[in-house]
Amino acid sequence: MNAPATTGVRLEDRVNPILVKEVRQALRGKYFRVLFWITLLVGTLIGVGIVSAIDEISFVETGRVFFMAIFGVLSAAVHCFVPFSAFLATSAEWDENTYDLLIISNLRPRQIVQGKLLSALIQALLYYSAFGPFLVFAFLLNGIDLGSVGVILAGSVATSVALTFVGIAASSLATNKVMRVVLMALFGAGLIAAWGMSMGLAAGITFEPQVLSSIEGQVAFVAYLTVAVVVALLAQSIALGRFAHEEENRSTPLRVMSTVLVLFASAWGAWLVQQFGDSESIFACHSGAAALLFFPWLISSTEPEELGRRASAVGPKGTLATLLSAPFLPGGGRAATLCFLQALLAVVTSQIALGFTASRALRLDNSVLAVAALYAYLLAYTVLPAGVAAYFVQRRSARVLLRILMVVAIPVGIVIPAMLSMFFGSGPGSALSHPLNPFSTLYDIQFGAPSPFTYAVLGLALLLALLVNAPRVFAGLREVLRARASRVQQAEDAPRA
Amino acid sequence: MKGALEVRAITKRFGALTAVDAVSFTVAPGEIMGFIGPNGAGKTTTMRICSTLELPDSGDVRVDGISVTEHPREARARIGFMPDSYGAYANTTIHEYLDFFARAYGIRGDARRSVLERVIEFTSLGDLREKHIDALSKGMKQRLCLAKTLLHDPAVLILDEPAAGLDPRARVELRELVKALAGMGKSILISSHILTELAEMCTTVTVIERGTVRGSGSVESIARGVSGIQRIYARSIAGAERLERALLELPFVKNAHIEREGVAFDFEGDEAAAASLLATLAGAGLGLCEFAPKTVDLEDVFLSLTEGRLQ
Repeated sequence: MNAPATTGVRLEDRVNPILVKEVRQALRGKYFRVLFWITLLVGTLIGVGIVSAIDEISFVETGRVFFMAIFGVLSAAVHCFVPFSAFLATSAEWDENTYDLLIISNLRPRQIVQGKLLSALIQALLYYSAFGPFLVFAFLLNGIDLGSVGVILAGSVATSVALTFVGIAASSLATNKVMRVVLMALFGAGLIAAWGMSMGLAAGITFEPQVLSSIEGQVAFVAYLTVAVVVALLAQSIALGRFAHEEENRSTPLRVMSTVLVLFASAWGAWLVQQFGDSESIFACHSGAAALLFFPWLISSTEPEELGRRASAVGPKGTLATLLSAPFLPGGGRAATLCFLQALLAVVTSQIALGFTASRALRLDNSVLAVAALYAYLLAYTVLPAGVAAYFVQRRSARVLLRILMVVAIPVGIVIPAMLSMFFGSGPGSALSHPLNPFSTLYDIQFGAPSPFTYAVLGLALLLALLVNAPRVFAGLREVLRARASRVQQAEDAPRA
Repeated sequence: MKGALEVRAITKRFGALTAVDAVSFTVAPGEIMGFIGPNGAGKTTTMRICSTLELPDSGDVRVDGISVTEHPREARARIGFMPDSYGAYANTTIHEYLDFFARAYGIRGDARRSVLERVIEFTSLGDLREKHIDALSKGMKQRLCLAKTLLHDPAVLILDEPAAGLDPRARVELRELVKALAGMGKSILISSHILTELAEMCTTVTVIERGTVRGSGSVESIARGVSGIQRIYARSIAGAERLERALLELPFVKNAHIEREGVAFDFEGDEAAAASLLATLAGAGLGLCEFAPKTVDLEDVFLSLTEGRLQ
């Protein structure tokens, strides 16, 4: 009897403390209890309603309609309530002023983030368990096969995990209450959109299950899972950085992850080009990557310039290794360096992915040109304003405002020239086609020919981005070299001391 | 120094503001150091640096010999920090709250259970262990936070305004707890605006203003350090007027004046000169029946240091 008890105690000790706390709090809190029973009640009522109307629905359709109705309620729970609960649980660390207590208790950021994620997943598991009998009943009603149910549930779990990570990351970004309310509203809206999207995908598979038999359908499903994993990993990197103490190196994991994302987009694109022979796949993959890279680039390029005492204390010994590691170390200037390098990496690996065939070696493929333009726009909308702001913005509150303005700058950059163009007589159709609108330019590169003026504006933006960032890029590299020299000096002095 | 808190010339700037400027002091094991200063003096920043929550721009803090800048995780295991404002989780009982932090500190199995019992007993929270934190009074919450601070048996305790908002009984109880902890050999740095409270429990004080240390040591030694003057009260059978006349003829004596039945005066000499003065007065046939330094309290020291003169 003792051995199992000891094993039980040991296992209990191994459980993440944050998980224990979060589960206790969540299961006792009103938020989970009320929503759980309401969801279950709504699911039951809908189920009963459909079964009572079974005569009016065709035999094949009954199972599908029942499944979609029940999945709709389940999806609301696991794609909206659970990620939102993770958002609230993370916010609570700032609202209840417990963040410092966590830091000094020596918990690692990974433990904190994982504990919050696992707690959310336990809640999701309870929802899945509660709705399991309904889903089995839908299968028994006919009309939906087990494979489709499995695929939909796998996609649903991946979406729930990714959204929960995004919730934790979004909440960790705002220690300020007003900012948190804004983020909460945005995240809530995003969750509703995600719910709609997951319902659409589930409906596609439920009513047209043959899509899963085609290679395109299978690739699309794997791509969906891949995007969910990448979003989860990026969000995790952001959250880990935010839960590390302000004085620690918060940047490196996010920078490594964003570099991996660029390489991954090229690799995934290369595989698609090889499979389907369509060079546009590489542009499609990088479009997704660029959309995900926007926030890491925005966050890191607007960081304070200082390397920090703790980040200075560790690093490679050699000069070359120090220089190579510099873009991955904290500081806005070093982030700008990394953004330029990642853009270059995307273009080069895209060209490699398409292969240097005789016909392509002489000129850039349109897709590679589009990839180049895509990253040029990303640089123009993140690194350029961050470089300009670096001369003026010092305070933390100003930095938060700068980040908000940079997000707003994209729709403003698209809409304002279009409005001016309409005001001065152009038709509404052509008004949106201007050099500040990345969508129209990228479309033109793929399917038409952008005007030389567009290329000139884009080139000028890139040149400006390089020029305004150059001082802080060099200053950042010098700081890293000085830190290395200091480390070497200390290592030499240590034996003498 | 084993078990001590050593603050070595730490400086911390926030933009153009130098919040802490080359602050140094040491708290020895078993010592309770009061950390006093006006609002915005840099007390909390210094304490947060000592607790690894802020990194100094220069200088270092050693906790039990471990640098907080170089080895923050190792240092945290030796520090118990009680912040001035801290959170209490919703839907959590006292026992669950302490159990969570004990787990977070890596205390496992039977050790965790026995530590929880010890800490709950020490802070007299036994009867409330299943009570939800939300329902606790301010005093009980302070006890709970102190209990959390003690879970991992830290060598150094840093208590930022622990008595703020407490009623008199809770303050007395907190004072006794702090004294008991010092008796266990812990180095304690404690800040408070209630100077009488600190005076009753602290063995030493450090006064800080605008980020710089204005004085550090025992209250008496700081007072002497501030002015170089000792205030003495003497009384003789021969009468206050004769004593006053005699004193005014002696070296190092200033500002002698009759106070009640005796004479109060400032003495600028060192201890040898004071001994010589006492011998002279005793041999002058005045019938000296009282000769004692006037008590300088913490409030005097605080006001003199933060306003630049002894009041």
